[in-house]
Amino acid sequence: MSEKHQVDGARLAILSNRLEGIASKMGNTLLKTGRSGVINRAKDFSCCIVSSRCELIAAAESLPAHVLGAELITQSLLELHPVLRKGDAFLHNSPYHGNGHAADHTILVPVIDENGTHHFTVLAKAHLADIGNSIPTTYHAMAKDVYEEGALIFPAVQVQRDYEDIVDIIRMCEMRIRVPETWRGDYLATLGAARIGEREMLALAKEIGWEQLHRFTSDWLEYSASRMSQVISRLPAGNAEATSTHDAFPGTGENGVCIKSVVTIRPADGMIEVDLRDNPDSLPCGLNLTRATAWTAAMIGVFNSIDPTVPKNTGSCSRVKVHLREGCVAGIPVHPTSCSMATVNIADRVTNATQAAFSTLADGIGMAEVGAILPPAVGVVSGYDPRTRKSYVNQIILGASCGPGNPHTDGWQTLICSAAAGMPYHDSIEQDELYHPMRVYQRRYLPDTEGAGRNRGAFSIRVDFGPVGCEMEVGYASDGSANPPKGVRGGGTGGGASFWKIRVDGTTEALPPVMQAKLADGERIVSISCGGGGYGSPMERDLASVRRDVAAAMVSRERAASVYGVVCGADGTIDEKATAKLRSASRPG
Amino acid sequence: MKFRFATDTGGTFTDLVVEEIGGVLKMYKAATTPTDPVRGVLDALTLAARDRDLSLEQLLAAGELFVHGTTHAINAIVTGRTARTAFLTTEGHPDVLTIREGGRSQPFNYAVAYPEPYIPKALTFEIRERVGVSGEIVVPLDESFVVTALAKLAAGKVESIAVCYLWSIVNPAHELRTGELIEQHLPGVAYTLSHQINPSIREYRRASAAAIDASLKPLMGRYLHDLTSRIEGAGFKGRVLVLTSQGGMLDAQQLSRQPIHVINSGPSMSPIAGSYFAQREQITEDLIVTDTGGTTYDVSLVRNGVIPWTPETWIGPKFVGHMTGFPSVDVRSIGAGGGSISWVDEGGMLHVGPMSAGADPGPVCYGKGGKHPTFTDACLTLGYLDPALFLGGTQMLHRDLAVAAIERDVATPLKQTVQQAAASIFSVITENMVQAINEITINQGINPADAVLIGGGGAAGFNSVWIARRLGCRTVVFPGLSAALSAAGALISDLATEYRRAFYTRSDQFAFEEVRAVVEELLERCAQFKAGPGEHARKHSVSLSVEARYESQVWELEVPMPCGGISDSTQLAAFLDEFHALHKRVYAVEDRQSVVEMIGWIARVTCTLREDPVLARLEPASAMAGYASTRRAYFPDTGLEAAALLQFDAMAESAAHDGPAIVESAFTTTVIPRGSTFVKTREGNLVVTV
Repeated sequence: MSEKHQVDGARLAILSNRLEGIASKMGNTLLKTGRSGVINRAKDFSCCIVSSRCELIAAAESLPAHVLGAELITQSLLELHPVLRKGDAFLHNSPYHGNGHAADHTILVPVIDENGTHHFTVLAKAHLADIGNSIPTTYHAMAKDVYEEGALIFPAVQVQRDYEDIVDIIRMCEMRIRVPETWRGDYLATLGAARIGEREMLALAKEIGWEQLHRFTSDWLEYSASRMSQVISRLPAGNAEATSTHDAFPGTGENGVCIKSVVTIRPADGMIEVDLRDNPDSLPCGLNLTRATAWTAAMIGVFNSIDPTVPKNTGSCSRVKVHLREGCVAGIPVHPTSCSMATVNIADRVTNATQAAFSTLADGIGMAEVGAILPPAVGVVSGYDPRTRKSYVNQIILGASCGPGNPHTDGWQTLICSAAAGMPYHDSIEQDELYHPMRVYQRRYLPDTEGAGRNRGAFSIRVDFGPVGCEMEVGYASDGSANPPKGVRGGGTGGGASFWKIRVDGTTEALPPVMQAKLADGERIVSISCGGGGYGSPMERDLASVRRDVAAAMVSRERAASVYGVVCGADGTIDEKATAKLRSASRPG
Repeated sequence: MKFRFATDTGGTFTDLVVEEIGGVLKMYKAATTPTDPVRGVLDALTLAARDRDLSLEQLLAAGELFVHGTTHAINAIVTGRTARTAFLTTEGHPDVLTIREGGRSQPFNYAVAYPEPYIPKALTFEIRERVGVSGEIVVPLDESFVVTALAKLAAGKVESIAVCYLWSIVNPAHELRTGELIEQHLPGVAYTLSHQINPSIREYRRASAAAIDASLKPLMGRYLHDLTSRIEGAGFKGRVLVLTSQGGMLDAQQLSRQPIHVINSGPSMSPIAGSYFAQREQITEDLIVTDTGGTTYDVSLVRNGVIPWTPETWIGPKFVGHMTGFPSVDVRSIGAGGGSISWVDEGGMLHVGPMSAGADPGPVCYGKGGKHPTFTDACLTLGYLDPALFLGGTQMLHRDLAVAAIERDVATPLKQTVQQAAASIFSVITENMVQAINEITINQGINPADAVLIGGGGAAGFNSVWIARRLGCRTVVFPGLSAALSAAGALISDLATEYRRAFYTRSDQFAFEEVRAVVEELLERCAQFKAGPGEHARKHSVSLSVEARYESQVWELEVPMPCGGISDSTQLAAFLDEFHALHKRVYAVEDRQSVVEMIGWIARVTCTLREDPVLARLEPASAMAGYASTRRAYFPDTGLEAAALLQFDAMAESAAHDGPAIVESAFTTTVIPRGSTFVKTREGNLVVTV
C-alpha cells in the first residue's frame, strides 16, 4: 500500500469508528431509557447518521431489519419539509413514505449549524408497545387495510420546534395509544437518543470542522462501495432462484404465500441483482411488505451470504440492485394496503429465499432457512395487573431459537428471526414475572428438532406460560408450522412451530396460527418455536460435534445413527468402525 | 524494620515489591512456576531476603502485610482446568446457562459460533421446586430430586455444585435446604448458592456467578490455603490479603469462600497504579494505562481521573463469553508480550502472538529449550538488550540462539535480513497493541491523541514510544515501578468489599419501613466488616447506593444515597431529584411525571490500611563502573544507529536528553527513537515527549 493510502486508511478508521461511536451512544440511550419490553429487552430499535443527501453513513449495531432503511425515510422528510430549522424534530411512522411499518416510530432530527445549514440528519427509530391499533398488538395480521389496522399514521409530522414539544401531537397520541405513560416514556427515550446524536455531531464538527466531516463522508462511502465490489468479484458468476413459503394466514388463501427471489451475481461488474417482482399481488391482510422492508429483507439475504466485514451503508448497498414492483406483497404497497407486519413474516421469507438462492451457487456461501416467527413466546401480552391496578401491553421475548446452519457454524440458539438476527435480549423469567402477573412454567430446548446438517440448525425451544391471579391475552401470528425451516445443500429441515393451550384441568386445546388468545387464571399457553435448517449433508458432520450433541441429550442416539450415520455407545463414546461403515453405505455410488 | 510485601503472579514473571515502612521500596522478579505458582512467590521473596543479607525467615518475620495478585483463577477457566461442576436448577428450566440473556454482536457475521454453556447439560439436574415472585412457595422442594441428583454426582466424581433456583433472592429456603442436603450427602464437596454469591434479580447472572464460583472453589481453596500456609511456614506472621476484580483487597481466607472475585486479581490494579503515578506527575489528561507482561498486554482507560468500571464483567467477549454477574475494574487484555511467539504462515504472513513461550521454556535466548522466536528475542537481536544485564543480571541471554531462531523461522521465509525480520516482529506486535488501545478509545469515540500513555510492565520500554507515535499521543510516562505496576498498585489499594440486597419498591408507594430494615442490614454488615477484617485500618468509609429506574424501564442507574438511608418524604424527594438529574445527565432526558422504581441496594465499605498515602521512593541501584556510553542498535524506521546508553539510576533528575537512546534499569530497557526527548523526573519516573 502506498503512503497516501495508509494515511487515508487511518483517518477513515478513526472517523468511521467515531461516528459509529456516536450512533452507539444514541442506541445505548434508547436501550437504557426505553419503557416497553420491545425496546429495553428486545432492542427493536435503531440509530443512524445520514448525510444531508440522504446517504446512510453510520449506524449503531442493531437489528438488521432496521438499519438499512434510513435513506428512504430521510428522503421523504426532505420532500415533505424542504426547510429545516435547528431545534426541529419530526415523528415519522408512515409505511407509505419510506418507513418500515407503522409500529416503528422514528424521530428525525436535522443537524444544523449556527448559520442554518443542514449537514446531517440523525434518526432514532423504535418499535413501540402500542401504536393505537384496533386490537392490543402492533402486529395486526388480519387487518384487511390500514383503517382496520387502526394505527395512527404520522408522515414526518413535526413534534418539536426550538427544542420544545408541539404538545398538540403529544396529546393526540396520549388519547389514542394504549398505556399512554409507556408511550410517553418511549417517546422521550427516542427523542433523547436523537438529541444525543445531534449534540455529539455538533461537538465533532466543532472539533474537526464540517468540511473534514463531509470529505470523510464521501471517502467512506467510496471505500465501502469498493470493498463491496471486491467481495462480489470473488463470488461465482451466475443466476439462481429459490422460494420460501409462508404458512396460510387469514387473507393469504389456503396455500399460504410462496415467495421467490432471483439472484444474479456479476463478479466482473462487482454487482448483485435481486429480483422480487415475480411474486403475488398485495394481500387483504397485514402481511404486506413496504418498500423499505422489501428492499431491506433482500439486502439482509445478500449480506448474510457474503464477507461480513463489508461496512453496511449507502456505499456498499449501491453495489446491489433490488427490483421491486408496485402492488406486490413483497414490493411497494399502495395506500390503504395494510403493512402491519412488514418487518417480519414475509420479510423473513424474502431473506430465506435470497440466501437459499446464494447457497445453490457454491459450497461455502448462502445459508439454510431461518425459522419463522412469531410464536406466542415472542408475542404481545396484555391485560389488567391486579398488583399495580394498571393495564399493560408488552411484547415478551421468552423463546425463539431459529438459527440456520451456515457455512461456518451451527444455528444460533437465540436468533429469533432473520430480521432480528439474535440481537434482542431474551427475557429473564424473573423480570417477566415481576413486570406482568404471569408465571413461566418451563423453558427448554427440544431434542431432535434441529435441521440436521454438516452444520446443523438450532433446536426448537418450548415455553409454557400463563397468567397468575387474573386473565391475560396473548397476541401472536406464527408462521412456520406448515413450512418449517428447510435445509440447503443436503441439510435437513428443522423443527416447526406449534402452540396449544393447557386448561386448568390439564386438558389441551389446539390454537390457530393467528390469534388473540384469551387465557383464564391458571391456564397456560405452550409455545414451540421453529428450529433452523441444516447446511450440507449431516453425513459429513464432524464426529466430535455429533458426540457433543448426544452427550447433551439434544440429539438421540437413534437419530445420531439414522440421520448423521454416527454410532454412539450408551456411554457416549463413538464406535468409529461402525460409524465409518454406516457413513460409507450412505454415500451414493 | 517492618515490611509490606506485594506480589503479582503473571503468566511469565512473579513481581514483588517490598516497602520498608518509613524507608525505601525495592522491586524483584522471579520466574512464574505454572505448576506451582507459590514457588515463584517464595523465589521472589528469597531474592529480596538475599539482597538484604537476611534469611527468608528473618525477612518474612518482619513483614506485617502480604498482598497477592494472581491469574490462577482466570487461567484455570481459560484452559478448562476448573473443577468438574454440576448445576442444580428449578424443574422446567434446564437451559438457563444456554439461553443466557440472548443478544449477539455483528448481526451479519455467522462465523461466530453459539457459546457452549459454562456447565454442560450432562451435569445439569432439574429439581422439583418453585418459588413465586413474592417469595411464596408454588411447588415445595422435593428433596428426593436433590438426593437422587447427589447420588449421581457422587458416582460421576463431581467436585463442586452450583445451585440456582428461580426467586431464591426473595425466598432462599429451597437453596438453603439444598445446601444442607449437599453437606449431608456429599460432605466435603464444594458448593455455591446463587442467592449468597450474587443476590441480584435475573436468573442467568445469578446462575452464571454461582457456576463460575463453584467451579473455582476446590482449586482456589487449595491454592490460597497453600499460599498462606507456606508463607506462614516460612516465617510470616502478618496478614495475607488478595487482590479482587473490583480493585480492592480481601483476606485470603474470605476469598477462598468466594473465589469468583479473584478472577481479575492483579490486572485490576494497573489503572489504580497508573492513575497514582500520573497524579504524582501532576498529569491531568486522560490516561491510557498499559501493562506489558511476558504473556499479555493489558490496557485500560482512565477518564477524568475515574477508574474504569464495567457493570457486567464478561470472561471472554460480550455475548459469547461468560458473564460473572458482577461489576469490576474494566481492563482489557490481548495475548501480546515479551514472550509472544512469532511465525510465518503458509501464505507468507507474519504473526506475533497470542501464544507465549511463558516462563518455561521462555524465549529462545534464555537457552532453556525455547524453539520459537519471541518479541524478547527480536529486541535482543535488534541490540536493545544487554545479554549480561537482563533481569538485573539474573538471567543470562544467548544472542546467538535468538538470531538463529529468527533467521530460520522469520528471516528466511520472509526473505529478509535477520535485523529486518526482527524489526518486522517488532512492528507487528506494536500494531497489535495499537489495535487493543483503539478498542478502548476510538471505538468509544475517544481520540487517543489527547491522552497520555502510561507504559507499565517489564516489556513496556521496548515499543511504547512507537505505540504512542502510532496513536498520536504526545507523552509517555514510564513509572520507576513500571516493571511491577500491579504490585505497586497493591501497596496503595484498600481493603474493600460490597454488600447487595435485592428489594423492590417504588416512589409512589415507598416502603419506608422495609427500606430502613434493608439499609440497617447492609450497614450492619459493613460494621461487621469494619470490626472484623477492617479492625486495624487507619480510615473507614461506607457508601450507599440504589439501583433505580423509571417505571417499566429494565436497566438501572446506580444513584448515591445518603448514609442514613431514606427515612422520610423529604429525603425521598431529594433522592428522586438526584435520580432525575443523573438520568438527564446520562441520557439527555428526564421524566419527572414518572414513578421511579428501586430494585437493588448496595453498600460499599472501604478500609484504608496505609498511614501515608504516598509510596516510599524506589531505592536506586549504585551506578555501574565501566558502563559504555553508546550502543549500536537497529531501529525499525532509521536502521542501525549509535544510541546513547544511560543507566536510569545514575541519570540526573530533570535533565533533558534526546533519542536515539536506550535507558536501562534492573528490570526494564526503554528504547527512545530519534526525534523523541526524555527526562527523569523528581518523582523518579521516565517521561518521554514523543
